[in-house]
Amino acid sequence: MNSIQRRLGVGLALVLLVFGTLMINGSVWLIDLGLRRHMQNELRDAAEMLLIAVVRGPNGLALDEQRLAPAYHRPLSGSYFRIDRDERIWRSRSVWDFDLPQPEEPGMASGFQPGPGEQQLLVYRANFQRFGEALSVTVAQDYRPLSLAFAQVRWLLSGLGVLAMAIVLFLQWLTLRRAFEPLERTRQQVLQLQQGRRARLDAPVDRELEPLVAQINALLIHTQERLLRSRNALGNLGHALKTPLAVLRSLLDRPELDTLPEWRQGMREQLDGIEHRLARELNRARLAGEVLPGAHFDCDRELPALCETLQKVHPQLAELSWQVPAGLRLPYDREDLLEVLGNLLDNACKWSRQRVQLRIEALPGAVRVTVEDDGPGVPEAQREQLLTRGVRLDEQVAGHGLGLAIVRDTLQAWGADLQLGESKLGGLQVSFRLPV
Amino acid sequence: MRLLLVEDNVALADELLLGLQRQGYAVDWLADGRDAAVQGACEPYDLVILDLGLPGRPGLEVLQEWRSAGLSFPVLILTARSSWSERIEGLRAGADDYLTKPFHPEELYLRVQGLLRRAHGQDNRSQLEVGGLRLDEGRQTVWHAGEEISLTGAEFRLLRYFMLHPQQLLSKTRLSEHLYESDGEPDSNVIEVLVNHLRRKLGRDVVETRRGQGYRFVGCPA
Repeated sequence: MNSIQRRLGVGLALVLLVFGTLMINGSVWLIDLGLRRHMQNELRDAAEMLLIAVVRGPNGLALDEQRLAPAYHRPLSGSYFRIDRDERIWRSRSVWDFDLPQPEEPGMASGFQPGPGEQQLLVYRANFQRFGEALSVTVAQDYRPLSLAFAQVRWLLSGLGVLAMAIVLFLQWLTLRRAFEPLERTRQQVLQLQQGRRARLDAPVDRELEPLVAQINALLIHTQERLLRSRNALGNLGHALKTPLAVLRSLLDRPELDTLPEWRQGMREQLDGIEHRLARELNRARLAGEVLPGAHFDCDRELPALCETLQKVHPQLAELSWQVPAGLRLPYDREDLLEVLGNLLDNACKWSRQRVQLRIEALPGAVRVTVEDDGPGVPEAQREQLLTRGVRLDEQVAGHGLGLAIVRDTLQAWGADLQLGESKLGGLQVSFRLPV
Repeated sequence: MRLLLVEDNVALADELLLGLQRQGYAVDWLADGRDAAVQGACEPYDLVILDLGLPGRPGLEVLQEWRSAGLSFPVLILTARSSWSERIEGLRAGADDYLTKPFHPEELYLRVQGLLRRAHGQDNRSQLEVGGLRLDEGRQTVWHAGEEISLTGAEFRLLRYFMLHPQQLLSKTRLSEHLYESDGEPDSNVIEVLVNHLRRKLGRDVVETRRGQGYRFVGCPA
């Protein structure tokens, strides 16, 4: 995944690197250039000084050693000269055994000339007339110490540049982190939304984030309200249809109909069909589908109330126990899951002798929900039947045998499968696996 | 047994009234939540059947008011709202049972019988069995020593009340309050006549008379 912070950091580092390198090399180059120009002037002066040192002696022209700078006497000192007149050449003592070449043209020789040892020489040649004789004065100066100094300066500047870059990057990281803090906070809150630990995002302080958060919140409220509205509408529809159904059922019990038992039976069957269909379709329609933030199923809060309710409705039940990992929250709509667990447990309670057990185990990436009772159970051959569409085995027991059908519809919507088996308690074991 | 039926659908209420009366209950009917709150608090009902979607006041609120006033009669919620979250809410508000519409009337009667038995400490039994007598509430007859004895509707009502309150001293006023609707209380002679009928069918000692105080159901010696 891309990180904005990393991208900005890399970009800044590249820019700093390019500009830093250009700056360092450019400035060293400029100083070097200036220095060489300066050296050229020096060399010219030196050539003129040497010209002055050429004096008229007893045997024609001579070089006045007294007038020469001390550096010309020290061997390999870095300052050299040669003065050519006709076939005679005067060389400074410092040249030693090195043959200082004479540039072909007067003026500054281009580039460095190799010198004794590793020396790099700047060479300058000037032609003069002295006492009627043509003189060619060549002076040279070793540039290598300066080159070395420049290299050192370059390293030093590079080091400083790297340090500066590190500081700038660090400061940028700090600034960005500060700048991204509200974004990070919002990100955490969205994460909490997904985990069902919060119902809304807090309003941010920053203007840039405000519209985003407001939009998410508005969307949340809108979705919640729509679900609530449609559930209410379904509830009302259910109410409007169920009460007349109840009236019809009661009417069928009228003693006047005792003489028409087959009419009564026929109508009863039709009413059963309508009721069955109505309950299942209403349930399917009211399924939340995507779970809404804040509507997650909190086991610690919901299960005690559910079990308390079941104990109240089934007072003959001696033990209704549940084993659930502490603090477990399931990312399914609270009402939908209550419907599933309520129906399964209610069914188990109806059939049980004394004990009903609910177990929720955490598996990697899923939970397994198991409901068991110690009732008579269902023979293996009939279990299939129980799961095929529309067949009801608990028809005879008080209450309508819609429980399993509704549970199956809901589980199907979640992509889970109901499995029936034999319980260790002796009765039926119903289990399903929910991805989390 | 005197019941209060709170239901705003007139057609359903009519049918339930008929059915419950056939089961031998004295039933008062109210359709408004506000009336129910008042009448439930001042009349001695043995059980209340309460719809949740009432005009005037919501049924849950009425129920909570009764419970916080210390009224402990069993309440059966009868509603079209069938989701478990609503069921939990209803039972938490103090209801004792919850039946969703549409229902088989037979099931309502069974639940009412069950709740009444439970309210009088006769749990875990499918039939009322006290003092050597077994009451068949479906057929409105009583079994004694392996013999089925038929009862008239009024006798059945009185015997059921006695059997739900064994060994308790019951005044004539209390008996007529619990056996007849609020607008149909008969004079106390009717109770006396009914007690004599029961004695004729089940033996002299089945009900004890305390002069000036009332009656006590003792049951038949085995």
